[in-house]
Amino acid sequence: MDGFTLVLWGVRILFLALLYLFLARVVRALLRDLRAAAREPADRPGRLVVIESPGGEPAVGRSFGLDVITPLGRDVNNAIVIEDPFASAEHAVLTYRGRSWYLEDLDSTNGSYINGQPVDGVAALTYGDEVQVGQVRFRLERTRA
Amino acid sequence: MTAEAARTRSTGSSSLPRVLGPIRPRARWQELRLLLVVAAALVIGSVSLGATVTGSFAPYDPWGLGIYLAVLLGAHLAQVLAGRRTDQILLPAVAMLGGISLLLMERLPKDLVVQRFFGTSFGLAEVQLIWLVGALVVATTVGIVVRSDSWLRRYKYTWAAVGVGLLLLTFVLGSEINGQRLTLQIGPVSGQPSELLKVILVVFLAGYLSENRALLVEQDTRLGPLRLPPLPYLAPMVAMWAIALGIVVVQRDLGAALLFFGVFLALLYAATGRLSLVVIGLVLFLLGSAVMANLFEHIRTRIDIWIDPFSDPLGAGYQVIQALHAFARGGLLGMGLGGGLPEIGGQPPIPEIHTDFPLAALGEELGIVGVVAILGIYLVIIERGLRIGVAAADDYRSLLAIGLALVVGIQAFIIAAGNLKVLPLTGVTLPFISYGGSSLLANALVVGLLMALSDKGVEPPPPPSSRSRWARLARRGAG
Amino acid sequence: MLAPTGRSRPLGPTTIHVALLLSVAFAVLAGAAGYWGVVRGPDLSRSPDDAAVIAAGRTVPRGRILDRDGTVLASNLTDENGEVYRVYPSPTLSQVVGYASRIYGRAGLERTFDAELTGLAGDPWTDAFAKFGADRFDPKDLSVSLAFDLQRAAVSALGKRRGAVVMLDPRTGEVLALASTPTYNASDLADPGTAAATFEALRDDEAEPLLPRATLGRYVPGSVFKIVTVIAGLGSGAITPDTTYREQPRSERNGLLVEGFRVRDGHHPETGSTALDLTGATEVSCNLWYALTGLETGGQALVDYAARMGFGAAIPFDLPTAASQVTNGRGTDPGGFVDDVELANASYGQAETFVTPLQMALVAATVANDGELMRPRLVTALTGKNGTRAVGPESMGRVLSDADARVINAAMVAAVEGPLGRRFTSGAKVPGVTTAGKSGTAELGGSGEPHSWFIGFAPAEDPQVAIAVLVEQAGRGGEVAAPIAGRLMSLWLNGAE
Repeated sequence: MDGFTLVLWGVRILFLALLYLFLARVVRALLRDLRAAAREPADRPGRLVVIESPGGEPAVGRSFGLDVITPLGRDVNNAIVIEDPFASAEHAVLTYRGRSWYLEDLDSTNGSYINGQPVDGVAALTYGDEVQVGQVRFRLERTRA
Repeated sequence: MTAEAARTRSTGSSSLPRVLGPIRPRARWQELRLLLVVAAALVIGSVSLGATVTGSFAPYDPWGLGIYLAVLLGAHLAQVLAGRRTDQILLPAVAMLGGISLLLMERLPKDLVVQRFFGTSFGLAEVQLIWLVGALVVATTVGIVVRSDSWLRRYKYTWAAVGVGLLLLTFVLGSEINGQRLTLQIGPVSGQPSELLKVILVVFLAGYLSENRALLVEQDTRLGPLRLPPLPYLAPMVAMWAIALGIVVVQRDLGAALLFFGVFLALLYAATGRLSLVVIGLVLFLLGSAVMANLFEHIRTRIDIWIDPFSDPLGAGYQVIQALHAFARGGLLGMGLGGGLPEIGGQPPIPEIHTDFPLAALGEELGIVGVVAILGIYLVIIERGLRIGVAAADDYRSLLAIGLALVVGIQAFIIAAGNLKVLPLTGVTLPFISYGGSSLLANALVVGLLMALSDKGVEPPPPPSSRSRWARLARRGAG
Repeated sequence: MLAPTGRSRPLGPTTIHVALLLSVAFAVLAGAAGYWGVVRGPDLSRSPDDAAVIAAGRTVPRGRILDRDGTVLASNLTDENGEVYRVYPSPTLSQVVGYASRIYGRAGLERTFDAELTGLAGDPWTDAFAKFGADRFDPKDLSVSLAFDLQRAAVSALGKRRGAVVMLDPRTGEVLALASTPTYNASDLADPGTAAATFEALRDDEAEPLLPRATLGRYVPGSVFKIVTVIAGLGSGAITPDTTYREQPRSERNGLLVEGFRVRDGHHPETGSTALDLTGATEVSCNLWYALTGLETGGQALVDYAARMGFGAAIPFDLPTAASQVTNGRGTDPGGFVDDVELANASYGQAETFVTPLQMALVAATVANDGELMRPRLVTALTGKNGTRAVGPESMGRVLSDADARVINAAMVAAVEGPLGRRFTSGAKVPGVTTAGKSGTAELGGSGEPHSWFIGFAPAEDPQVAIAVLVEQAGRGGEVAAPIAGRLMSLWLNGAE
C-alpha cells in the first residue's frame, strides 16, 4: 500500500470513527436523561397527609401517595377512600398538571374546601394547602425524596 | 396563595399563541458540542470524498459544506436567542443525517436531477442543499415559534378533512410517475402531498385517541370471544384501514399505506395498551393485502420479487439485486466515499439511487459499520421523540409526540428494510437522506414540532373541566 | 399522564413496548446489513453479474489459460475503444475452455473460474482486503492439464460425427483431453463484432454445438457398463473370478430366460460349450454371464458401487457435469429397480442406465488405478502477482481392493488383446504397449443405429492414460470407437499414431 492510499484509508476510517463518536455522545446524553427521569418521582409527585379524621377512617397521620389523577370519595373504587357520612361517593379529583396541583369538586353534596374556602368547579392549590372533604382534612405535601 | 387567587373557573382553552416571546437567551451547550462533532465529521467526510475524486486532501465542495454548516450555526444561535428549553439532541441528529445526504448527493452524478430556478439550472447536490437549508429553517422556526398546541388539538376533524381533501386531490389530479400517482403539480411547483399527509394523520389520531382513550380501553362490544371497542369508535379505525387500501389501489403507493397503517396501529397500542386491537388491525391488514395481491398484478410482482429477486434479474428484480450487490461490495468498512458504485454505461449501478436507494449507496461506500451508525441515529431520533411523549404534560401532547416519532422512525424502517430485502421495496423516502424537497420539509416539520413539544417550560394544558369525560367516568366508577 | 384507575393503563409502559419493538426491528435491519455485507459479501461481489466485476472485465485484461505445456488456450485482444475482449486459438477447445462474452456471459472454464480470471482472489479474506491496495484486481493465469495437440487430435478423430472423447491420467485425475463434437468457434462469440450473429446461429443449430457432450451428454452405455457390474460383483463378494453359473453354457443357444424376458448373446458360435468365467465373459462380452452376475450381486450393491465412482450425482469437476444413473429409482426392488428384468438389462448397460462419457472414463480410471479413483480435474495451478498456487490431486475414495482391480484389469486386457477379444475391439491396441479396454454397442431400442462406445487404459501394467470414446449412433463399438481410442492412446504414449 502506498502512502497516499494509506492516508486516504486513514481519513475514511476517521470519518466512520467520528460518526460513532457522535452516536456515543448522543447515547450517553440519552442515558443520563433517562436516569434523571427515573429518579424524578414522575408518578408520585406529592402526597396527602391526613391531619384530621373524626371517623377514624382514614387514620390521622396516614400519608397517601398521589398519582397524576387521584379520585377521592366514599366509594371503594376511589384511590383515597374516605369513610365519612359527609363525603359523597365520588367527591373530588386531585390532578397534577404542568407542575401544578388542581382540585376539582365533583358536584358533591357538601362541597370540597381548600384552606377553608369552598371550591367551585376547579381550583389550584400548592404544597402546604389544606384540603377538606367531608369532615376529613388533608395537607398536600411534597413526596419525601 | 389567597382563596381568591386559588379560585379558577375552568376556562376551556389557553390564551392565543404568543408568537415571539421576550428574548431571553439561554445557552445550549450540549447542542453546540454535538454540532461541533457533526461539523468535524462532515469536514473529514468531505476531505475523504475530495481525496478519492481529485487525489488531493481538500474538502470536495467547500462552498456547499460551508453554507450548510453556517446554516446549522445560525439555527443553533436562533434557538439560543429564543431561549426555550427544548430538546438539544434532535437538531444535531438531523444535521448529521442531512450532512451525510449532502455528501452523498455531491458524490453522485450531478445530472441525475436538473432543476431550473429563476433562470439558473442547479444539479443534484445544489438542489438538495437548497432543500436542506429550507428544512433546517422550517424545523428551527417551528421549534421556536410554536408555543401552544390548541390550533392542532381543537381542530382535529378539520385537519382530518384537509388531509382527506389533499388525498382526494392527488387521487384525481396527481401525475403518474413510474406507475405511481404521488405527485401533485400546481404550476411550477410539484410536491408529494403524502409526505404532509402523514403529519396530518398523526395530528388527527393524537386528538382522537387522547379524547376517546378511556372509552377505547374500558368499553367493549362483545363479538363472540372477541372484545372490541364500542362500535361508533370502531368506525374511524375501519375508515383508516379503507384509506390505507385506497392509497395502495389508486396511488399504487405500497409504502405510504404501510406507513399509515403501521403508525396507526402503534399509536393505538400506545394509547390503549390493548393488544387485541392491534391483532385485529394486523389481521385486517393481512387480509386486505392478500386480496389486493390477488387482484393487482403490480402488488403481486412486488411480493414475488421480494421473495426471490433473482427470478427476474434483468426486469423487476434488477433494482433490489443491484442494491444487495452494493452492500456486498461495501463489506464491513465500505469502499470509502466516492470509491464505490462502479458505473454501468455512465450511470450509477442502482436505478433511482438518490431517492429509493441512498442506504444501499451508503452501504457500499461506508460499509456495514457506517450503515449501522446511520440506523443508530434514526433510533436516537425515535427515542427522543418517544421520550418527549412520555414526559409530556397530557395525553394529547404525549400521543402527538409519540406519533411524530413513529412517523419518522417507521418510514425509515420501511425503506431501509426494502433496501435490505427484509420487506418488499416501496417508494417511501429515507427521512433526511433521500433526495426530495417534500420529504425534507415534511420531516423537518415533524422534528420542529417535536422540539416545540419538548419545551420543559411549556404552559400547562387546560385543567379538566367539570364537563370533562374523566369526571363523568370517575362518577360512573371503574369497570 | 393518565394514571391507573380501574383498568386503564398509563402511557408509559405501552410506549416502552413500542420503543422495544422498534429497537428490535432496527436490530433486525442491522443484522440484515451484516448478512448481505459480510456473509453474502464474498459470493455476491465475485459473481459475474456484479457491477464492479463487469466494469473490470472491460478494462482489466483477463488472466490467460494455458495448457500443460504452456501453450496459450485463451488470451486477450483490445478493440478500437480500448476495451479488452477474448480470443481463442482453436474451436476444438470451445466446450472446455468456453468463452467470455460481454453480452452472452461466460461458459466453460471461463465461467467456473471467472472470479480468478477477472482478478478477484477467489478467497474471501484477500478479496475483502484487496480494496486497501492500490491495484484492486489481480487476474490469475490458469494452467490446465489439457494437452492441446491431443485435444485437436481427438476432435479430428471424431470428424464429422457427433460424439465425445475423454482422456485422463488415472494416477492423478488430470484430464488430458475433453473433446465434444460438433464444436464451435468461441472466438466468434467473444468478439463483440460478431457475437450476436454467431449466437443466433449456434442456438438454432439442431446439432447443438453448444452442448459439451463429454460432460453433459447422457447416453445408453451398452456393454461398457459391464465393467461397473463386475466391479460391484467382485467388490461386494457376490462373485469370484472363477464364478460360472449353472445356466451356462446351455442358455447360450436360446438365450437366458429372466422372468419371461430372454437375454441373448451373439458370441456363442465361437465359445461353443465352455462355461465362461469372469475373464472369458469380459473378453467376448457375454450378456448372459453379466446378467446373472447382476442378479447375483443385487440391485442395491450395483447402485452402491456405481455411486462410489460418481453415479447418482453430478461429478465434482471444474466444469458442470450431469449425473449418470443406473436406474431411475422408481421401482421398489432393492436399489430402486422395478424388477429382475430391469436389473438384468441394466447389468449389461441397457434398460434405464444413462451415463456421461466422463463418468465412463472414471470407471476405466478406477480399474487402471488399482481400485482408487482420483478426482478428475483440469486446473493444475493459478498464477497471479503473488506467485503460483498449485491445485493437487485429490482422491475420491477406494472403490475396490487392488487385488480385485487387477483381476478386472487382466480381463480388460483380454478384451483387447485376447484371440476372441481383439475381434470386438480391433484397432484399440496401442502398438508395443499392453492395452486394456472394453467396447460397447448401445442399442437404442429400434430408433436407429446404436451408439459406439469404448473405454480403456494403457499400459495395463502401469496405466498412464485412461480413455472413454463415444460416437453417437455410429454402429458397433469395436468398429468405430475402438480404433479412435487406440489412435489417441498411441499418440499420447508413443508420440505418434
